[in-house]
Amino acid sequence: MEIGGSEGLLPVEEILSRYRNDREKLIPILQQVQEKLGYLPLAAMERIARAVRVPAVEVYGLATFYNQFRLNPPGDHQIKICMGTACYMVGGQIALDSFERRLQIGEDETTPDRRFSLERVACVGCCTLAPVVVINERVEGKVTPTRVDGILLELGLEGLPEQKNSASEEGGKTP
Amino acid sequence: MSAVTEIGLTYAGLRRQAEEKATRLKAQAVIRIGSATCGLAAGAAAVKEAFEREISKRRLPVKVLETGCLGHCHAEPLVIISRPGFPGIAYGFVDEDLVELLVKNFLEGDDPCYEYALAALDPNDVFPTFEDFPRGVYEKKIISGESGIIDPKEIEQYLAGGGYGALAEVLARPPQEVIREIKGANLRGRGGAGFPAGVKWELCDRQEERERFIICNGDEGDPGAFMDRSLLESNPHLCIEGMIIGAYAIQARQGYIYIRAEYPLAIERVNVALNQAREKGLLGESILNSGFSFDLEVFQGSGAFVCGESSALVRSMEGERGVPRHRPPRLTESGFRGKPTLLNNVKTFCYVPPIIRHGKDWFKGMGTASSPGTALFSLVGKVAHTGLVEVPMGTTLRELVFEVGGGIPDGKQFKAVQIGGPSGGCLPESALDIPIDYDSLHEAGAIMGSGGLVVMDDDDCMVAVARYFLEFTQQESCGQCTFCRLGTRHMLDLLTAICQGKGDLKSLDTLKDLAEDIKAGSLCGLGKTAPNPVLTTLRYFREEYVAHIREGICPAKMCPDLIVYYIEPEKCSKLCNVCVGSCPVDAIYTREDGLKAIDQKKCVKCDNCLKTCPPQYQAVIKLSPPEKLAELEGKK
Amino acid sequence: MSEQVTITIDGRELSARRGEKLLWAALRNEIYIPHLCAWPEIEPPEASCRLCYVEIEGRERPVTSCTEPVIEGMVVHTRSPRVDRLVASAFELIMSDHHLNCAKCPQHKRCELQKIARERRLRLRPSRLTALPRRGERDDSLKTIYFDSGRCVLCGRCIWACRELARVGAIGFSRRGYKQAVTTFGDLPLAETACTECGECVEICPVGAFSYKINAGGERESL
Ligand SMILES: Cc1cc2nc3c(=O)[nH]c(=O)nc-3n(C[C@H](O)[C@H](O)[C@H](O)COP(=O)(O)O)c2cc1C
Ligand code: SF4
Ligand code: SF4
Ligand code: FES
Repeated sequence: MEIGGSEGLLPVEEILSRYRNDREKLIPILQQVQEKLGYLPLAAMERIARAVRVPAVEVYGLATFYNQFRLNPPGDHQIKICMGTACYMVGGQIALDSFERRLQIGEDETTPDRRFSLERVACVGCCTLAPVVVINERVEGKVTPTRVDGILLELGLEGLPEQKNSASEEGGKTP
Repeated sequence: MSAVTEIGLTYAGLRRQAEEKATRLKAQAVIRIGSATCGLAAGAAAVKEAFEREISKRRLPVKVLETGCLGHCHAEPLVIISRPGFPGIAYGFVDEDLVELLVKNFLEGDDPCYEYALAALDPNDVFPTFEDFPRGVYEKKIISGESGIIDPKEIEQYLAGGGYGALAEVLARPPQEVIREIKGANLRGRGGAGFPAGVKWELCDRQEERERFIICNGDEGDPGAFMDRSLLESNPHLCIEGMIIGAYAIQARQGYIYIRAEYPLAIERVNVALNQAREKGLLGESILNSGFSFDLEVFQGSGAFVCGESSALVRSMEGERGVPRHRPPRLTESGFRGKPTLLNNVKTFCYVPPIIRHGKDWFKGMGTASSPGTALFSLVGKVAHTGLVEVPMGTTLRELVFEVGGGIPDGKQFKAVQIGGPSGGCLPESALDIPIDYDSLHEAGAIMGSGGLVVMDDDDCMVAVARYFLEFTQQESCGQCTFCRLGTRHMLDLLTAICQGKGDLKSLDTLKDLAEDIKAGSLCGLGKTAPNPVLTTLRYFREEYVAHIREGICPAKMCPDLIVYYIEPEKCSKLCNVCVGSCPVDAIYTREDGLKAIDQKKCVKCDNCLKTCPPQYQAVIKLSPPEKLAELEGKK
Repeated sequence: MSEQVTITIDGRELSARRGEKLLWAALRNEIYIPHLCAWPEIEPPEASCRLCYVEIEGRERPVTSCTEPVIEGMVVHTRSPRVDRLVASAFELIMSDHHLNCAKCPQHKRCELQKIARERRLRLRPSRLTALPRRGERDDSLKTIYFDSGRCVLCGRCIWACRELARVGAIGFSRRGYKQAVTTFGDLPLAETACTECGECVEICPVGAFSYKINAGGERESL
C-alpha cells in the first residue's frame, strides 16, 4: 500500500516544519519520516524536495544511496541477518539461505503477505554470538537452520512442513 | 577573581559533589551489569531483572547499575559485585540460577562464590585479579580502563575518577599549548591512517577563517569492529571531554559526533551524556566559567561504509550523497560548510584527556617510538577470549592472539589473522611476530585500520574470505570512480568463479593487475585499499587459490560449490536418527541397511547434519572435490 | 603577480592562466589528454572517470590533470608507462560496462570513447575482462530525445547541464556502487518528469547515451 494524499503526509509536514525546511537537514528529515511511516513513499520524497527546494530526483538519489532508507513498506517482522566478518565466517550465509528458503524470498524482499522481510546488515557488534540475526530488534545468537525454523514458528509462520517439500522441489523464489 | 582560579574553583565544586556521591556508593553493595550491546544481546536485561527481583524479595540494600563493556565479551552476561570489605569481583556467563546463588550466598551471606568468579578487580590476598592472568599482563588500559566500571549514564561517576580534570587544566592555558602537547605526544589518528593528530590540529588552527568545526568520526563501518561503539556506550564522557579540549585548541564553537544509525544504544547514551555535561556547565556558554563556549550535537549516519571517509562524511552531514571528493583542499582548510574542520576518530579523542592529565612523556613511554601509546582492538573469530582488548603498540600479533586472546579454541590450527577489515589484509603464521604499529603492518601488506582483528583457523578458506571482503567493498563503493566501481566488480566476478572452481590460472594475474590498478587509480581510500585482502591472500596463501583452480579443491572445505556432505557408513549408527530430522530439505534418507545417506540432489549444504551428528559418531564429513564422492561410493 | 604562467608539457613550453586546471591548458594547446567527466564550468571537478592521469615532475605518483591547478615552471608528461597502464586499465573497465554497438549509435565518429581509443591506440572491446551484463533499458518516452543507460559512462555531465544550464533538474544519480545510475525521480520515464526536451543533456553527453531521435530526413524529431 502506497502512502499518498495529504492526510498520509501530515507527519511529513510536521517534521519539515520542525527542521524549518533546511536543506542541510535532509538526512535527519528522511530518517524521521521513515521512522514515522516505516518507509519513504514517493509522495513524501516529492513533498520534502519541494519544501527544501531541491529537485525531487536529488532526494531520490539520497534515499537510494544510503542503506538505511527503504522505498517499500517493511514486513511486520523484520529479519536482519548479520553479515559481519565473524558471522560470515561461521555460517551467516547459511542462516540467510535458510530464511530465504523458508520464506521463499530473497534478501531485501518482503513476503507477498507483507508479514516478513529479509535484510542483511553489517556487523551488529555481537560477534561472540555469531552467527547472529536480529528479529524485530531482538538479537538471536548461534543461529542454525534448525533455529531458523524455530524462530519462524515462534513468529507464527504456518505450514512449514508443506513448504519444506515445495521449497526443495521448486527452489524458486517469489518476487 | 582571575579567570584561571574561577575555572579551577568551578571544576573543584563539581568534582567534590561527584566524589561525595562516589563515597556514598562505595559504602554499600553495588552490582554492575555489563549492559553494552554485547551484554544485552547475551541477556543482560534478564540478568538485571533477576537481580532486582531477588534483591527486593530479600529486601537487601543493594544498588544495581547498568554499566558498559569490560572487554570480556566472550563471558557475557558479565556482572561485577562490590561489597564493602571484599574486593570487587567479576562473574561471567551469569544466568538466573547464578543470580539467585550470588544474592543468597554473597549479598545475604558472606561467600563470594569464587568458583564462579572470573577475576577480582582490586588486588587482594584471596583471589587473582585480571592483571594476574596472561591477558592482564599484556593489557594496558588507558582509554578503556573505566569501561564496564562506571555507569555511562551518570556523569558524576566519570567526574569522580578525575573526569573533565584535563579540560579544566586546559582551559586555564592558551590553546596553542594544548596543540603543542598533543603534537609532542605524537598521538596518531586511530581511525586507520595514523595521521599525527597534533599536526592536524595545528593545520586547522593556522587557517585565517575563524569559524571552525570539530567532528568526531564514529561511523565505524568495518564489519568486524566495535571498539568505537563500545567506548561510546561504556564511557561517552571520555570522548566528549577529548572533543571539548580539541574544540578549545582550535577555538571551534560547534561540534558533531557522527554515529552510525546501526548503533542506537551508543546514540542514546551519548545524548544522555551531552545533556548531563550541559547541565553541569561543561558544554554550552562559558564552559566552567572560562568564557569559552562550545556545544556538541549527534549526527546519525545512515548506513554507508564510505561515509567513514572524511570528505564523504562531511557531504552526508550537509545533506548530500556520501560521495568522497578530490583532495586538496583538505578538511582542515575546507570542510563542513566550507569551513576549517577538524575530524578525528572516537579513539583519537579518547586519548586526549589522559595525555593532558599525565603529560606527553607518559604517553610516549608506552608503545613504540613511531607509534606511541596503546591500541584498542576488537578481537573476534576463532579465538578463545573474544572481546575488546587494549595493548601497548608494539605488542606482537602472536601475543595478541595466543596470550591475550587465549589461542584457537577446539584444538584447531591457527591459519591467519585479518587485520584492518576490508582495507586490511590477512596475515599468516609467519607474520605473527610482527609488532603492531602503523609502519610494520603496512610493510606486511595489511594496515592498522581502526582495530578490527579477526582470527581464522583451518576451517576458513582464504579465497572465500578475500571474496567476502571484496563483496563488501563492491557493495559499499560509492560508485563514482571507474576503478573502484567497475574494478571491484570484475575482481568479485573473478573470485566468485574461483570459489566455484571455474577460474583459471591466468585469472590470478588479472586479479593482481586489477588490484594494483585499483589501488593506484582510485579517488579515495576505499578504492585505494579495497584490493588489500586479495593482494595479501595472493601473497601468503597462493596455493589455496591454485587448489581451487587446478583441482577444484577447497582445502578448508568452505566453498559450497567445491564440497559435498557425506555420511561415512562405517561410523553411522543405525540406532540414531537425528540427522534426518535436522535436514531442512529432507535430503537425508535411511538406506535399506538402516544406515543414513544424503540425496545430493536435494542437499543445500547447510551444515546442519554435520553439526547435529552426535559426537560419539561424527559420521558426517565434508569432501572436496565433490568427485571424491563417486570414488568412495564406487569403492563399496 | 602575472596572470600567466609558463609550463612545459611533453617538452613543449606553453603559457597558461595561473590556477587553471592542467587538463584545459593542455587541450587548448592541442595536447590531448583522455577525459570524460571533466567540463570547464563544472567546479570543483568530479574527477571520477580517472582517465586524465599525467606525470608531473617532482610528484611521486601520476595525478589527475582535471584537478591540478597549473603553477609556474610545472613540467608535465602526458605519457609514461605508469600513466599508460592506468589509462588503459580505466578505459578497459569503462568499455566492459559499455553497450558497444557503434554502427547503430548516433554518436559514431563523434564519440569521446572512440577518440580515446584512437589517440591512445586502445581497443574498444575489452580483452582481459569479460563484458558485464547490459545495464538498464532504453527510455523512449520522450518525443525527440531518448536515453540509453547501457551506453552511459556515468560521467555526470548531463546532470550538471540539466540543473545548471537548463535549470530543470529532471535527472540525477541514484543508487550506489555498481548499481549507480543516471535516473529520474522514482525511475519514472523521462516524459513523466519536468523535462522540457531542451537537449542540453544530448549536447554535453560524451557518448551516445542521451541522443536525439532522428526522423526519416536525418533531422532531429521536432516537438
Ligand atoms: C572508506 C573509508 C572508511 C573509513 N571509515 C572510518 C571510520 O569508520 N571511522 C574512522 O574514524 N575513520 C574512518 N576512515 C578514516 C577517515 O577518513 C579519517 O582518516 C579519520 O576519521 C581521521 O581521524 P583520525 O586521524 O583520528 O584517525 C575511513 C576512511 C575510508 C577511506
Ligand atoms: S574509490 Fe570508490 S568509494 Fe572512493 S570515490 Fe571512488 S568509487 Fe567512490
Ligand atoms: S548520459 Fe552521457 S552525460 Fe550523462 S552521465 Fe551518462 S555519459 Fe555522462
Ligand atoms: S577528467 Fe579527470 S577524472 Fe575524469
